[in-house]
Amino acid sequence: MAVTKLFFNTRLKKLMILATIAGGIIALRLVDIQVLRHNSYLQMAERNRTQIIYQTAPRGRVFTADGVAVASNAPSFSMYYLGAMQDTEYLTKLATDVAPRLKIPQEDLLNTLIKGARSGKATLLAENLSTKSTVALQELQFYYPGVYLVEETKRSYPFGGFASHLLGYLGSMDDREWRKRDAKLGYRLNSKIGKNGIEKKFETDLKGTDGGVYLEVDYRGRVKSIIEDKKWGAGSDVYLTLNFAVQQAAEEGLRNSLTGRGAAVALDPRTGAVLALASAPAYDPNIFVQYSDEENPAQSKKINEYNLAVQGIYPPASTFKIITGAAALESGIIDTKHKINCPGHYNSGPRVFKCWGTHGPVDFFDGMSNSCDVYFYVVASQIGAAAIERVQRMFMFGRPTGIDLPGEKAGNLYGPTRRARNKTYWFVGDTLNLSIGQGELLVTPLKLAQFAAAVASRGNVYRPYYVEKIVSNQTGKVKEIGHPEILQHADLKPETYDTLFKALKYTVDTGTARRVKIKGLNVYGKTGTAQNPHGADHGWFLAFAGREGEEPSIALAVFVEFGEGGSSAAGPVARKMLEAYFNPPPLPTQTRARLAADYNELFVTGDENAAI
Amino acid sequence: MPRFKLPGSGRNRLDYLLFGATLALVVLGALNIFSAVNSLSFSNPVVRTHLLALPVGACAFIFGWSFNYQIYDEQWKGLYGFILALLIGVLLFGSYQRGSRSWFVLPFFSMQPSEICRVASILVAAAFLDRRGRRIREVSSLFGVGLLLLPIFGLIMMQPDFSSVVITFPALLVLLYCTGVNMFYVGLIGVLGGVTGFFTISWTYIYLHPELLDIGVIRVFYDLAHNGWYMAGFSVFITLLGYGAWWFFKQLRLVLPSFYFVLATMVVLAGLFGGIFVDHQMKPHQRKRVETFLAPKSDPKGAGYNVLQAQIAMGAGGVFGKGLFSGTQSRLGFVPERHTDFILAVVGEEMGLWGTLLVLGLYLLMLWRIITIAYMSGDRYGYLICAGIFGMFFTYMMVNFGMLTGVVPVAGIPLPLISYGGSNLVSSLWALGVVQSVYSRRLRA
Repeated sequence: MAVTKLFFNTRLKKLMILATIAGGIIALRLVDIQVLRHNSYLQMAERNRTQIIYQTAPRGRVFTADGVAVASNAPSFSMYYLGAMQDTEYLTKLATDVAPRLKIPQEDLLNTLIKGARSGKATLLAENLSTKSTVALQELQFYYPGVYLVEETKRSYPFGGFASHLLGYLGSMDDREWRKRDAKLGYRLNSKIGKNGIEKKFETDLKGTDGGVYLEVDYRGRVKSIIEDKKWGAGSDVYLTLNFAVQQAAEEGLRNSLTGRGAAVALDPRTGAVLALASAPAYDPNIFVQYSDEENPAQSKKINEYNLAVQGIYPPASTFKIITGAAALESGIIDTKHKINCPGHYNSGPRVFKCWGTHGPVDFFDGMSNSCDVYFYVVASQIGAAAIERVQRMFMFGRPTGIDLPGEKAGNLYGPTRRARNKTYWFVGDTLNLSIGQGELLVTPLKLAQFAAAVASRGNVYRPYYVEKIVSNQTGKVKEIGHPEILQHADLKPETYDTLFKALKYTVDTGTARRVKIKGLNVYGKTGTAQNPHGADHGWFLAFAGREGEEPSIALAVFVEFGEGGSSAAGPVARKMLEAYFNPPPLPTQTRARLAADYNELFVTGDENAAI
Repeated sequence: MPRFKLPGSGRNRLDYLLFGATLALVVLGALNIFSAVNSLSFSNPVVRTHLLALPVGACAFIFGWSFNYQIYDEQWKGLYGFILALLIGVLLFGSYQRGSRSWFVLPFFSMQPSEICRVASILVAAAFLDRRGRRIREVSSLFGVGLLLLPIFGLIMMQPDFSSVVITFPALLVLLYCTGVNMFYVGLIGVLGGVTGFFTISWTYIYLHPELLDIGVIRVFYDLAHNGWYMAGFSVFITLLGYGAWWFFKQLRLVLPSFYFVLATMVVLAGLFGGIFVDHQMKPHQRKRVETFLAPKSDPKGAGYNVLQAQIAMGAGGVFGKGLFSGTQSRLGFVPERHTDFILAVVGEEMGLWGTLLVLGLYLLMLWRIITIAYMSGDRYGYLICAGIFGMFFTYMMVNFGMLTGVVPVAGIPLPLISYGGSNLVSSLWALGVVQSVYSRRLRA
């Protein structure tokens, strides 16, 4: 018996040891799960039980320098059904009442409702609704428990295509963008992000933090309760250097010009700040952010993204005579009083170069104001092409202006040194072509504006910039973006500038640029008509101006494609811009909107025009 | 005589440690069941049934405790007949619920006879083994137990209620181990069962996932069950393999009796043909049940999803838990079967690590007391009963805790005394009552 007992005894002990070891392993696993992995599991549990109805936060607004919000937000609503009421009669009545306002077929809505009510899940009925319908829908909320309106904002551009090439537009994310901007950065798959321009460049700043209605749901997604309503945070505002009136004048002018195609750029010659940068045809970025319940004219979503102001390159034509003139003055071998006879043509060996008119004897000022080609042919052949190329380089022709815009073209410098580098020859004809800004010489409208500003500031070639600062709506922190930056100084003699100013003013007062003569202002200008072998000539207008007794405070270049004449096509645009700058029309009223720091009041009235 | 004084070795009629652990587990269980169904109202069917099951369980405990356990030894044939009658009865008159016929629906409650049989078959097996006396080490004892319990297992499988079999089998092994049978034979039978099960389950799995047949090896393996040539080829291959292994070891001058090689070959072949037999006997709906067993409570998201949700619940509870009736995972239904098989997830989420460790600790305390009582028992029958009941609770603990912590595969096994389930509670309390009965009639004071 004792032996048996002992035998039993050891086996029992072994079993108990086995049970203890098993218990120990399980205890370790429990500690692992409940202590070491506690945080991650807690997060998973929270994710399990919460469903978030996101509310798109207002994007940061974009202001012009004079404080007009040119990109802002409008209230938009989404409608959800959170109720578990399954009574078909109730749902049918609801669908009948609501469907016409949402502009969706009643049967579709009823099906969605029934499906949603059966599942008990939060069901999206319609999104991106305008305030027009929501006033009525808000009332229905009281009659139909379970209907839930979620306030959101959507981007809105109050002035349509205003500076559309600078502002850019919004669009849905594609796969690549989603990989870059994921949920960690607060993006959702249906978030709209900037696709171009400022909207794209400052996406991170402009994007606010989305708010959300946090719902507690069970394992089937049935809504149990609303946990909290987290308010959104608006994105940071971007302040541009643009002058609202000038930009608008430029756009209107280009739209109403002969062909409606062109570009106009205005810069502040004292800083290089962009006062206006317009490219026509433009587009209305609002077409990407329309309300779902509004009658939208069938619009093609294909837009003209081509920014002619920085991407279009053309010969500067007669506006280039400022360079030739400057080179001549700088050479010292030209007497401005000396008259050269213009018989309407100039013989260079076997070739005949024509002038656009017959001007008779002209001195430097007449030559400039009448844009006499012969005068500059003669002068150029006297001073040589290399001198002209030198001045070109001083004003950084053939180099990009350095503005922070995508796809800027550098244009093309033209001159004998350049030719030599390309291992080809320079002919006399080339000198003559160069002197009047034709031939291989190519510039963008922005480049020409930069040149005008450089002349106006007596040699300071500024890098143009159009974004002043970014101001956070959350912290009030200011981020400076753009600042004046002199790229190069065109070191011409002071007398040269004096003479040029005099000649250009003479051109405005009596010559081809008469169209921009404005009382009370010192306006300097030069026209240009670029010969176009493929069609109608392009029109150029270069000008800068200041109040009498003051330094020039605006420099501009206007280009009208196929506009035929510089004065006739581009001149009126330039004049409108100058007038808008020196004598601005009243700014549009954006009253409470513009200054509303708190976006909440937006939804109190349901005012359709309450853009902020 | 023990060298040290064991707790509970006084003159008590009741082992207070075991009783205390039992009571604590039942109370914890009740609290967590109510929390899991998020109700304290008597109108909730779960709450109502559990509150009715508790007094019935108390009666079962007192019944088990107060009767002399030796009555099961004396009346084991009657008990055996009773089990068979219950199991046949449920197949004939039971109600068909959730794919199995394992419930007696009575006017006030339903009863699951396989739960009672689980305990009763341990009592019967112990009685049989006790009677074998000194012949226990003979193979015949093993076959005897096998033959004895085969009808019970067979009848339970016909319901089918795999989980009862899964639980009783290891309990039986523990019983055999403690009886002193030759473990070599037990191991051999285990391997035979394993091989048979492997073939059957693999083939069933492939049958249910035909896309696997595109893989050549699997195709050949699957055809073993249907193609006579393949069968013959495989048999010859295994035989040669056995012979080759014998020859190989002989070359190494390792003297191993050829008997083992013959035996190993025989086992594999027997397993193959056993598997083929079972496979050919199975009907599609039975295959479905095997699959349901492989992945219990299979829902669209799969069994892994259930375990994950249970682990999320436990992990979210942390050290101190979220408090009773406050667990979101269980209250909002993310944890499946939260008042039955996955009740530990509720304990973990709402009472934290302390709660789960408390349950584990109480279980270990209970197991230790049962072992101690086995040691103190007055006769061999009492010892065997305790060993079998120890095996049963040990298996429950391992499978249920193991499933939730991811240590063992998912199987739909409740945690006795904690999980909801009247029949399980009553039969578990009866078993513990029987253990107390052994204690009260112990030999060593």
